[in-house]
Amino acid sequence: MSRDPGHLPAFGGTEPGGPPAGLPRQRRGTTPQMRGRYPDYDVLAETSHWDEATRRVVLDRVERVPPIRFFDEAEAATLGAFCDVVLAQDAEPRIPVLAMVDEKLAERRGEGYRHADMPSDRETWREVARMLDAAAAAEGAESFATAGREAQLRIVQRFSEGELAWEGCPVDKAWGVAMRDLLGAFYSHPWAWNEIGFGGPAYPRGYARLGAGQREHWESPPQFERDPVRDVDERGLE
Amino acid sequence: MRRYPEAESVDMLIVGCGAGGTTLAQRLARRGWRVVVLEAGPFWDPDRDWVSDEAGSRNLYWTEPRVIGGSDPVELGKNNSGRGVGGSMVHFAGFAPRFHPSDFEVKSRDGVAADWPISYEELRPHYEALEQELPVAGEHWPWGDPHGYPHSPHPVGGGALRMIEGAERCGIEMRVGPVAIANGSFGNRPHCIYRGLCLQGCKVGAKGSPLVTHLPDALAHGVEVRAECMATRVEIDEAGRATGVTYFHEGEEHFQAAEAVAVAGYSIETPRLLLHSTSARFPNGLANGSDLVGRGVMVQGAPQVGGRFPEELRMYKAPPPEIASEQFYETDASRGFARGFSIQTVGPLPIGWAEHVLADGHWGQSLREYMRDYNHWYVIGALSELLPLPGNRVTLADETDANGMPVARMDYSQCDNDRANIAFGKERMREIVRAAGAQDVLEIDRYAHLVGGCPMSGSPESGVVDSDQRVWEVPNLFVADGSVMPTQGSANPALTIMALSARLAERLAAKRAGQGSERREAVSA
Repeated sequence: MSRDPGHLPAFGGTEPGGPPAGLPRQRRGTTPQMRGRYPDYDVLAETSHWDEATRRVVLDRVERVPPIRFFDEAEAATLGAFCDVVLAQDAEPRIPVLAMVDEKLAERRGEGYRHADMPSDRETWREVARMLDAAAAAEGAESFATAGREAQLRIVQRFSEGELAWEGCPVDKAWGVAMRDLLGAFYSHPWAWNEIGFGGPAYPRGYARLGAGQREHWESPPQFERDPVRDVDERGLE
Repeated sequence: MRRYPEAESVDMLIVGCGAGGTTLAQRLARRGWRVVVLEAGPFWDPDRDWVSDEAGSRNLYWTEPRVIGGSDPVELGKNNSGRGVGGSMVHFAGFAPRFHPSDFEVKSRDGVAADWPISYEELRPHYEALEQELPVAGEHWPWGDPHGYPHSPHPVGGGALRMIEGAERCGIEMRVGPVAIANGSFGNRPHCIYRGLCLQGCKVGAKGSPLVTHLPDALAHGVEVRAECMATRVEIDEAGRATGVTYFHEGEEHFQAAEAVAVAGYSIETPRLLLHSTSARFPNGLANGSDLVGRGVMVQGAPQVGGRFPEELRMYKAPPPEIASEQFYETDASRGFARGFSIQTVGPLPIGWAEHVLADGHWGQSLREYMRDYNHWYVIGALSELLPLPGNRVTLADETDANGMPVARMDYSQCDNDRANIAFGKERMREIVRAAGAQDVLEIDRYAHLVGGCPMSGSPESGVVDSDQRVWEVPNLFVADGSVMPTQGSANPALTIMALSARLAERLAAKRAGQGSERREAVSA
């Protein structure tokens, strides 16, 4: 796994690297995998307070999941499995991050830079799919998508550390490109905002309660609190 | 808006409608000059075009292809490159500090980089005027040349208060401001609503950018802004004078004639345009006789340190620019490196914060767990003065854009002084965050702000433009943006870019008092 999750606010899941034990089920609205620290918070209940342009852009992410156009079927299977592992989306509902990335690549929306020793973002994503499948083949699997969970975690761990062998492009920069796109997709989605308790768009209403521990009337308190430092100390996790 | 025919030779043709270009246009138009501004991006209607959303704001950035290299490459785009009327100030955080007097003489004082051919005193009246015009809000500022601000400081959030306390325990003073956000309504601009999306374009209109501060006055004084017009060449006649600019609008090539041209495309696009403007007389590009165009391009080191606190701080509220310290701005020989850094607040939104968490090595369940803790974190960042190095430069890549123009390539590598400065700043920030009571700390290395690449200098051999920002080799060609800065201090550059343009307009006007022919005389003096 990535850096020891014992460092985290609430480690202690039923399986290593799983979500923490006791993390509530979402009761209102949707979060990815229906878990969250703010089980009664639904940012999508606030859309009538948003300006029209913002409402359109954010609701589009929920209501209009684009079809896969850029990746072929095999690439989509490999990269879909990669997205699930790297964002810990192990159950429905999932934020459709691969579809969001696919649309961006299909429409050639750039970020404003390309490393001199890297191919285009479009080609980089295809290289990532080839690299993951090659790494899975080296572990005896037919493809990354069909490799077992443990093998997938091992491969992604090596990818994240720049340690996968690959001729196609510098592996550390490919990780940077892929994760930039995936984090941009995942945390732009209002389901993820529900999970983390983000207040979301606030125009024209604004925010008024700026102090520590203060909340707007529509924001919701966390229902799962564990002081990470105390938790880590008590359980001797670090 | 006034319109000029392309064949009419306007008094000043400006390329780029950002901090430098807009301020110059407004100041010259007020003095009666006929001015056209070409802008590659759109003419924004904030109501229609901007959103209160992190990912949805990508159109504000220059996302056209560019190539980056060097041992410490700088990711261009959303963090540092604007596109559209208003320029990068549309998405800047809002910090508007002055440079310090020492910034103008770092070679004499500290033996590094280069002195500016002008002094702080020459910019001071323009700083003072622009702080009124933006306006800037903040506490009395004790650093550099001590000064006050026209608007009182904004209220700050719980996180910033923690940091003020933490810094105090470390013997470090942090003050509120200085931000180009009116405290209260200002003219027809509404007051700030503390929604925290300053970097996504201020839909409210409270944060200053040329689009709301200087453009309306420029238009009222007869400036024409031609949006979605990408300049590809500054044209030169046989005598070596600029005659105007070739540009593309909707795939069609156009030419606007002008008595004088000011390039204000910022540190990547200005060098790109000059390097691409080759001719028999200037085969290596305009202003490039000393092979200095594009060299010395700079970014500030911008490492960030986040702390986890027991209570919810919800750092997405309130403008990200809340408080700052310039206590470490000047050289202190005991630190073992030249120049210094400032410390400011950052307030990343979820995607920005996720990038922090990833940089600390987390993905999968661990990433999700950290992100669920978002509301408990608060972040401060340094702006470290990195030195201008000749090997850090903008050149033309082999790849071309839709108009057939080679895209820019930016190479960037740090020197030992840069690394020592960044490391020292991170250490101070960790101390502050821990003294503020943080239970856990995360950090990330990044960059902020582009300047340099066409430095002003006292001689043609040592720079691209003279002290009046006039290209040494072309008498009626000027550079009016952050690329003229020989050094960058550890201040956010927007206010200084505007002040330089305000000074430039004054210098141009001082050389003439009337109309027409005298104006032409002024620009060729």
